[in-house]
Amino acid sequence: MLTAAKRQFKISMLSTKYALMRAMVNKATFVMSIVFMILNNATFIIQYLILFSLKEDVGGYTFNQVLMLWALASGTFGVAHFFFKKAFNLSETITNGKLDAYIVQPKNILLQALTSDIDSSAIGDMLYGFILIFVSGITIKKFIFFTIFLILGGFIHVAFAVILASFSFWISRSDIIADTFNSMITHINTYPEGIFGGITRVVLYTLIPVGFISYVPVQVLTSFNIMSFIYVLLFTAFIIGLAFFMFYKGLKKYSSSNLMISKI
Amino acid sequence: MRKYIYIFKSEFMSSLQYVSNVFINYIGYFIMMFMFWNLWKYMYQDEANLINGYTMNQMVWYVAMTEILWYGLGGRKLCRRITDDVRSGNITYNLNKPYSYVSYIIFSHLGEILIRTILYTVLSLTLFNSILGEFPIGNIYEALGVFITAFLAIVISILIITSIGLISFFMEDASPIYWIYSKIILVLGTLFPVEFFPMFLQKVFKFVPAYVVSYGPAKLFVDFSIDKFVEIIIVQLCYLLVSLLVANLIYKKGVKKLNVNGG
Repeated sequence: MLTAAKRQFKISMLSTKYALMRAMVNKATFVMSIVFMILNNATFIIQYLILFSLKEDVGGYTFNQVLMLWALASGTFGVAHFFFKKAFNLSETITNGKLDAYIVQPKNILLQALTSDIDSSAIGDMLYGFILIFVSGITIKKFIFFTIFLILGGFIHVAFAVILASFSFWISRSDIIADTFNSMITHINTYPEGIFGGITRVVLYTLIPVGFISYVPVQVLTSFNIMSFIYVLLFTAFIIGLAFFMFYKGLKKYSSSNLMISKI
Repeated sequence: MRKYIYIFKSEFMSSLQYVSNVFINYIGYFIMMFMFWNLWKYMYQDEANLINGYTMNQMVWYVAMTEILWYGLGGRKLCRRITDDVRSGNITYNLNKPYSYVSYIIFSHLGEILIRTILYTVLSLTLFNSILGEFPIGNIYEALGVFITAFLAIVISILIITSIGLISFFMEDASPIYWIYSKIILVLGTLFPVEFFPMFLQKVFKFVPAYVVSYGPAKLFVDFSIDKFVEIIIVQLCYLLVSLLVANLIYKKGVKKLNVNGG
């Protein structure tokens, strides 16, 4: 079991490595997409400078906490889109019957599909996350927990996208719904929890799990609480399990489009 | 002109096939607006407060209007379409056609987004009028003024994004430039009116595209005045002329560099 997991991890890493090498063929474009992504994210600082000039806090967050929120939002997005880009157009792959190339390989179908492509500009998102966490004031403990939260948050993003994409096995044209909800999670991630009312907050910890990607991690990074950390770990394990369950349940309904694709 | 109207009409007819998608995509717009409504409710606390001359209702209407223009425009898709046309060589199909590529893009994109923009406007005006209960437009003349500036804002946006997409003639991917442009529009015109920035920056921002493609129509919608209307129309006409010239210039220069492998 452990050896199989190790092999699968090695193959997924190799897949990412080759996708990265393809993206680096044109070095100028590769570097530019990363630098511009950092600049693109940085423009939002202006938005918060204005909001903080109107009020001392935004949704109960200090400016430092907003920096942490943005570091997590941007970093988790980066991890998800760099390592598992395919999760965000998996719905289209299923709808168009293009999963065959992954099904015939003697490895985990879902992981093979998810790691088959990368988004090089997402490196800019990850770097921006680390820049902001340094600006917000860094300690070794904070750095370690931030890195763990980036990975866990990235996994939650991906698992959520896989669950949405899995609906395509049963509902046609659900790719629009998946796109809408995936971009929604990205947008909500960048606004403090305190601006929302009671019912919305419940939704943000259940149906749209922004709370476990950003809000709880910000609390833990501000004042460490082992229980909150464990909640994030448990939720991540739960949503990953649910994503696998949904995907493989749906896979039984999959029908190919007989499209000839080579997957090397 | 008849050929462009035909292009507009055929794109419009084609977009009617996907009306149900507009309603699903509207969920995204609605959630964004729900977030901003919550944000401004928190910032205002007391709804009777004025921040930089705006009441809370005016702020929500302002953002609703700028977001209609933004979501209706579909700028990312337009930029991607032009970039793909250039990179894949598909743009060569337009070279031997008896029309200008820039004009073709303007009319085909207007045809594509017409039904979406109309539906977004109708749904949003109905929704926010029932929530806020205070419709900012007083009479038909003000509505006409807002409509003219909104239409010009969309055409100018299409021209600017076309220019950005055509930069692909000179570099492999123009998307990063579009990211920066979209964030400038978002931060300097969509989320906040110009009045929220320091005085010295407000004068500079009159020269930023966000002033004409986002702030102008939304400001007139929430607080119409003839002076402001005339000022915005003049700046918009200047922008229209310059962006049209720039888009055509980039196309003419770029198309000479085009190198397509047959296939």
